[in-house]
Parts: sequence; structure tokens; C-alpha cells
Amino acid sequence: MSSPSTPRIAIVGSGPSGCYLAQSLRRALPEAIITVFDQLACPFGLIRYGVAADHQSTKAITRQFERLFTRDGVTFAGNIRLGRDLGLDELQEHYDLVALATGLSQDRGLTVPGEHLPGVHSAGVLTRLLNAHPDSTGPFPELGPAPVILGAGNVAIDLVRFLAKRPEHFAGSDIHDDALADYAARPAERITVVSRSPVATAKGDPLMLRELGKLEHVRFTSPDDLSVPADADRAAIARAEALATLTDPARAHSSAVEVVLRFGWAPGEILADPTTGRAATVALTNAAGDREPLAASAVIRAVGFELGSGLAGLVPAELLEHRSDSGFVRDGLYRTGWVKRGPTGTIPENRSDAKQVADEIQADLASGRIVLDPRKRGFAGLPAAVQERAVSFADWQRLDLAEIAEAGPDRVRRKRADHDHMLRLARSGHLADAPAR
Amino acid sequence: MHITVLYGTESGNSELIAEDLGQALAADHEVTVSDLQDYDPAQLAGNALTLIVCSTHGEGELPNTAIPFAEALDALQPDLSGLRYAMFGLGDTFYEETYSQGSELLDRRFTELGGTRIGEYGRHDASSWDLGSDVALEWLPGVIEAFEAAVVS
Repeated sequence: MSSPSTPRIAIVGSGPSGCYLAQSLRRALPEAIITVFDQLACPFGLIRYGVAADHQSTKAITRQFERLFTRDGVTFAGNIRLGRDLGLDELQEHYDLVALATGLSQDRGLTVPGEHLPGVHSAGVLTRLLNAHPDSTGPFPELGPAPVILGAGNVAIDLVRFLAKRPEHFAGSDIHDDALADYAARPAERITVVSRSPVATAKGDPLMLRELGKLEHVRFTSPDDLSVPADADRAAIARAEALATLTDPARAHSSAVEVVLRFGWAPGEILADPTTGRAATVALTNAAGDREPLAASAVIRAVGFELGSGLAGLVPAELLEHRSDSGFVRDGLYRTGWVKRGPTGTIPENRSDAKQVADEIQADLASGRIVLDPRKRGFAGLPAAVQERAVSFADWQRLDLAEIAEAGPDRVRRKRADHDHMLRLARSGHLADAPAR
Repeated sequence: MHITVLYGTESGNSELIAEDLGQALAADHEVTVSDLQDYDPAQLAGNALTLIVCSTHGEGELPNTAIPFAEALDALQPDLSGLRYAMFGLGDTFYEETYSQGSELLDRRFTELGGTRIGEYGRHDASSWDLGSDVALEWLPGVIEAFEAAVVS
């Protein structure tokens, strides 16, 4: 199997980008030794922790990625954090090339005064809580009766859907029930979504807007112009149609919850309530210079993710802070997915990105830009402590079965938001004496 | 017999299914597996049997890699009266209104140009969590049987 012409490839990150890259490289290089690392005890990254808990069919993409590890000879090594368990230099000592597919985890800031006030939350933190991400901590924060979401991309729409739904709407999901119970104790009555862009150039996927219409207990309103120019692109027209359907007064609904859709308003400042010190008002302005103070019982910023945020301190920031069409970072180091091109696009877009990077790697192997060193042994050459620490795919399958077995009523699985619990389930299939939460 | 397997994909599921169909057929047949975006529709009429695996994108639209093919087909308008094809569509019943409609956009074109669909219309539903290839490999023998019956008669 192993020969001087067999490249050893390390992919860091097992989300969609890492898995797509492993898939493309496996097709192109059937002999290559490929290891996919992840800092968590489970694979699939954003599919598991970013895709909403009530979008299970989107998560079914993992069925194709499983085959990498069960059939195609790609090794999974979970529970290995780059920079803590293994240095990048060390990884490069044992692999001919390292590809970063670490995504972006840091929420982008708003850069407006007041964005760090108590009562201002980041969408990433809330999403991780709802998905039982092991880095999430504490209860789901109290958002009050009238939270305001700043941003109208797909992450924002996921949050609108969560906030508008009631517990009975989560049947068939793998929502983190502790977080859901925290929220359901005091659910929002009016949710306002604020898009800086007008409808024509807004971010949200029309399909996700349409899906909101299934919530018959929700009334959708907007005081703003929701039309788009006649020559707008197809997505813009579809978005405008979806919004018109939602806000149509003839749409059958009860008014248990109201969702207010605002387009073309920029938040200029978040103001605190003078007595509580908590965020209470968002000062909005539009292109015409109109101003509007919007009352908020809490503010959620959902305006995307920070480029270069996935690998703080491991790779010189200046190498990653710019988007690039090329996956080449420096000799022996490549990148793909969001860490390469920025935080845009859905899961499938990472596939075409990964294919391009795989082509680039193949070309660099052929031209000698990547130099193969037969002394490198890939995973087998890593320090024993690292190999022992690694969660294998078989371990993950054990954890997967345990999660499914532990699923409560109306749930497809029960995720543990605790890394050590996950590890124990992965290694032995049971928690032994772990406390329940 | 030479069988052509074509796929249109967004997330890679159709590609994987097409590869698996190709592999299953390779024992008894000559097989070519190709992405629709790399396939010239002028070649269709010359195929003995063509299998199409195609997903659905967005609001019932064609997936990315099927779009250039559909455009070329529309421009060319070939006579497909000799074409025998089978269709396997992917979709998600979570989006009831548009379930599996991507493949139907190709199916309609083939029918309008005179093609004959063979066997059952295959479908995979992402909401089922079934592995697409498992469903497609169950569907395949019926298609081959129907094709052989059609050729004999």
C-alpha cells in the first residue's frame, strides 16, 4: 500500500469541506493515506452543529460521507485539537500535505456602539446551545417577549424559526432539550428580524422563508417595502414572492406569535435601559436617512462569521485573512471551504470548492511542488499519546448508536453537550457513573 | 450492451449513486458514467440505454451540473425518438411542493423530444435517511428487465 509515490494527506476538520475534500482526493488518489482530524469526539462539524435541529433531511448528507470511513479507507481521528494535542509543524512532519478545512467559528461583530451590552447575544452561541455543541455552556439565555435579530441570512432565519416554534413543533428533531425547555418557559411573542439590505440583495434563502409559512400559529408582518425591481435576479424575485406569501393578510394563521420583517434598515447603535443597563433599543436608519428606535427585549446578532477565525495562533493570520481562489497557503499547506473563500454558501458549494482544491493538489503533486517524503508515515507515525487519544470512526459509530438509543420521545437522537460524556460513550457505549444532565 | 449513466448533482449524492450504479452494471455491461455538465446531448440519440440520476435544487429547480446540459438540449432539440432512458430522481419530501421536481424537468424534455422512459421512475427521499445507492440498486434490476423486454418485443 505504502510506497514512495503514496502521498500522506492530513485534513483538519471533518465538516462538509473536509469530507468533500477527502472524497475528491480519494477518487483522484486511490493509494493515498488520508486522515481527517477533528477536535470533537464526533465527525461532520457544521452538519451536526450548524444545520438546524429541525432540518434532519439536510443532515442526511452524512450518509454519503460515512462511506469515506467505512469503505474507502479514510481514517477519522477525532478528539485531536490542532495546537493543543498536535502542532501544525508536528503534523507536517508526518504528512506530505496538510489541508485546513476548519471552517469559521467566530461570529462577526456589528461594529456598532452597544453591541457588547448585556442582553446582546451572538447567533453562533445560541445555535451551538440548540445543537448541544460541547463548547456551549450554561442555560439558553432569557430573551424576553420581543427579541430583535440583526441579520437576515440563513442563520438568522433558523433562529426565527426556533424562536417562533413551540415545543410540539420539534418532533423528529435532535434539538437540545435542556435549551428548548429553558426557552419554552418564556417564549417570545414578537420577533423582529432586521436586514440591512433591501429585499433584492438580502441574504436569506427563499426556500427557508417559504418554510416559515408552515407555522400556522405565526402572523408575519412588515411595515417596509418588500418589492424588488422588475429586473431583479431570480433569487431576489423568489425571495420577494416568498415574503409576499408570508405577509399576505389572507394567509391563514392565528396570532399567537408575530414575526416582524424589516428590510433596508441598518443598526446604528444599541442603547441600554438606564435602570437595568441591558440592551433595550436598537437605533435603526435607512438609506433615506429615516431613523427609527426599535424596542428590543434582547438583541441577537446574526451577521455572519469572521474570516481567519478558525485557527487563531496556529497559522500566521496574514496567510488566512484574505479570501482566495487558490487553496495553496504555503509549501505543503492548503485550505478549503469557509476558511479559504469566506463564510458564504451552503453545504453543496463546499463540494465544488473542494473539487478545485483537490485538482490543485493533484497538479502540485504531478509538478513536484508537493515533495513526497517516503519517511513520513501519516497517522502511524504520530506520537503514541496522540494515536491513543484519537476517537476512531468505529468509536464514533458507538457514540452514534448510543445517542440514537438514548433519544427521548419525538426525538431522533439525544446529543450530549459534554465532551467527556461523548468520549465515554464513544469508547464504551455507556456513561458508567456520569451524572445525568 | 453499453449503458450510459449520467448524473446532475449539487451535493454529490447523485454522483455517488451514479458511480454505484456504474459499478453494479460493470459486471455484465460496458458502462460510462458522466456528469451531465461534461456530456454533449448530441450523443444521447446514439446510446443503447441511458440512466439519469438527478437531484432537485432550491425551489424545484435543476441542480447546478444539469443546467448547462439542459440549456444545450434546449438549443439543439435533437430527435430522441430512439432514446430509451430510465430516470432516478432525488428530492426531499420535507419540501412537499417541489419534491423530486429537478429530475422531472429533464424527464419532460426527453419525453417531448420523443424519448421513451423504461421501467419505474426511481425516487430517493432525503427525509427517509435511506442511503440513495441502496434505493437505486434496488430499482436497477427492474429497469434492466424492462429494457430487455422492450428490446425483445
